[in-house]
Amino acid sequence: MKVVNLLAEVDMEKCKGCKTCEKVCPVIAIKVENKKAVVDAERCRGCGACEQRCPFHAINMVKLKQPVLVKVDVSTVNYSDVIELCRGAKLNPEQIICYCTATRAEEVAAAILQGAKSPEEISFLTGVRTGCKVECIQPVLRLLESAGIKPEPPKRGWQWYGRTVTVWDIPEEVKQKYASRGFYFDEDIKLLDEVVSAPLQGRRNTDASSN
Amino acid sequence: MRLPIKPIPPRESQYGIAPSLVKKRVSELPGMTSVSLKELFPDLPEVIFPNEEGVAVIRKATEKALQKVDMSKIKPEHSVNILASHHGFTLLGGEPYAEMLKTIKDVIEGRTGCKNIRLRAGVGLRFRETEEYIKRYGLDEYFNGKAIGVAPIDEGIPIETEVGTLYGIRKIYDADWIVHAHNSDVREVHFHRQVDRAVKPFGMSYARIETRSTYHQNLGPRAANFTARSIFDSPFVQSKFAFASFLTMAPNGIIGVDADNDLYALNDRVTQTGCLYYGKIMTLFGEIDECIAALDFPCPVVYVFSAGVIYANFAGANTDLFDLDMPLPAYTWYTEAFYGKAGRPLLKDIPPINPAIKMCVHNYAWTGYPSAFFSEHIPTVVVGQQQADLFDRDPQNLTYMKNAVVAESTESAMDFAYRTTGTRKVIIFDGAMSGINVSEPMAELLIKKAPAVSERVDNELLPKWLKQRGVDLSLLK
Repeated sequence: MKVVNLLAEVDMEKCKGCKTCEKVCPVIAIKVENKKAVVDAERCRGCGACEQRCPFHAINMVKLKQPVLVKVDVSTVNYSDVIELCRGAKLNPEQIICYCTATRAEEVAAAILQGAKSPEEISFLTGVRTGCKVECIQPVLRLLESAGIKPEPPKRGWQWYGRTVTVWDIPEEVKQKYASRGFYFDEDIKLLDEVVSAPLQGRRNTDASSN
Repeated sequence: MRLPIKPIPPRESQYGIAPSLVKKRVSELPGMTSVSLKELFPDLPEVIFPNEEGVAVIRKATEKALQKVDMSKIKPEHSVNILASHHGFTLLGGEPYAEMLKTIKDVIEGRTGCKNIRLRAGVGLRFRETEEYIKRYGLDEYFNGKAIGVAPIDEGIPIETEVGTLYGIRKIYDADWIVHAHNSDVREVHFHRQVDRAVKPFGMSYARIETRSTYHQNLGPRAANFTARSIFDSPFVQSKFAFASFLTMAPNGIIGVDADNDLYALNDRVTQTGCLYYGKIMTLFGEIDECIAALDFPCPVVYVFSAGVIYANFAGANTDLFDLDMPLPAYTWYTEAFYGKAGRPLLKDIPPINPAIKMCVHNYAWTGYPSAFFSEHIPTVVVGQQQADLFDRDPQNLTYMKNAVVAESTESAMDFAYRTTGTRKVIIFDGAMSGINVSEPMAELLIKKAPAVSERVDNELLPKWLKQRGVDLSLLK
């Protein structure tokens, strides 16, 4: 969930049509047309990625007169499916996966259950990845994978490249090799497994144990 | 009681309010004093900076440290990227780090004849931060127009590691050789847990979002920094790595410059000094029973400094951040993620945010880092409506002000804090060099507690911390 209160605005005098903005936008809300960047105001989630990376300082973030609430209502989907999807991604449904918007795994799972098939669509629907733009791509990819979806990165974009290793995937020989150097792989697996199966706070106990 | 130490001045930045809006520093208020870190811990090392000569000593120390470094692989026709990170520019005003970077360039040029030397300066979550520093310290001119800031959403490059593909920032690696120019300040102990501290930027400020998300979401609180090691150990990075040069830090200043072709040898030294010197300050901070924490430094909320310790670590000072048997600090992103919908931790043994912090007075700190967790869990007073408005505009902090109140002035914020908390103990995170700015009752507490803390760290905690990290205990002798 995110309250979008900013909108990217292009200074046409400064814009050189370099397409950097296009390549970094997490919701594909800005495109270069006729050598100038054009913002789709309905899609923009106000993250400022374009403004922060434009080499010509041609983008300003302006305050929206009427902020927009972006949210997927978890109650519109079967919560058992949400739990299944989250647990498949080794996430607790109530776990926060976006620190900037405090979006929980359950909301992203609900977006996927409603039909979202890519990180871009998920970000558009939930606001996840539109705060710092850095930290939450992996849980989004893990949740998509749990739903059997393998999205393709945007062509010629820099939005994201791929799913990476989790602690559960670390090969045993790697664990052994670095065992004495302070990396607590197995202990962290135990901890994260406990989190995954921890009781839910926002629902009745029967729901929490329904998987 | 000593006079307060002059704090680091406010900085012009797009991430903070204009310096002219910072009307009063907390250390200027009545009842504030300072404690010398050497007075608290006489065994802290002698420092080369701050000093009366300024950054000239940093140049000399860098030149001396680089004498032992083998640069024979770098040929005149090659290109070299000196890799920097934003953190270094927040240390002691930033000039020492900038001077080390300039000196590295000069020494490489002088010793190898290589002229194509670039500066690539990585960031955290404020993508233009190092652009600001490059201008401030004249680095663009010094590097002949070849100094740029790079961000984790810039074009990436896949790096094959022993745990699969991870991703670096293409412009970090677009030279024949890379030089890792960093510092040993412990900074985010809650994240790296002083495991491979010296390697961390390879998984962070030199890395793409996929890698950073791996660190903070996929590996767990004590395995996280393996992300950095796996990238650094990759054949690709090893084929480019020339050497590392670090400002070596203690809470009271810069001890010297350490340089090495072997990053892991340097890493072991950094682990030892980090645990020893910062371990004492952090353990002492854990002895504070109640306080008002005042933020007053040109950095995001989590990164404001006191005695070399950042506020994020003070928020977890009720736990031993160096003890790897303790899985989750009171504050780290994994911990934050594990708070359920009722606002309680999902696991019962997750420690609360340091209960000694009765209130936070946010006199001056920047946006550009998700900080709402702090105002949710610690009563927070923000000074000035302009500062509150800035947080409301920050995509990373849209709910920070939801749980914070605004005071008109530093004085009224502190009066409110004194009245409502009932404590007169104040610790100020304002980057004071060589000491800590505090209120008089806090100074008395720290001075009283320090000797026992020192003894406990030396005899009990330090040996345990180093053993957990596989560092040779004979280094202690």
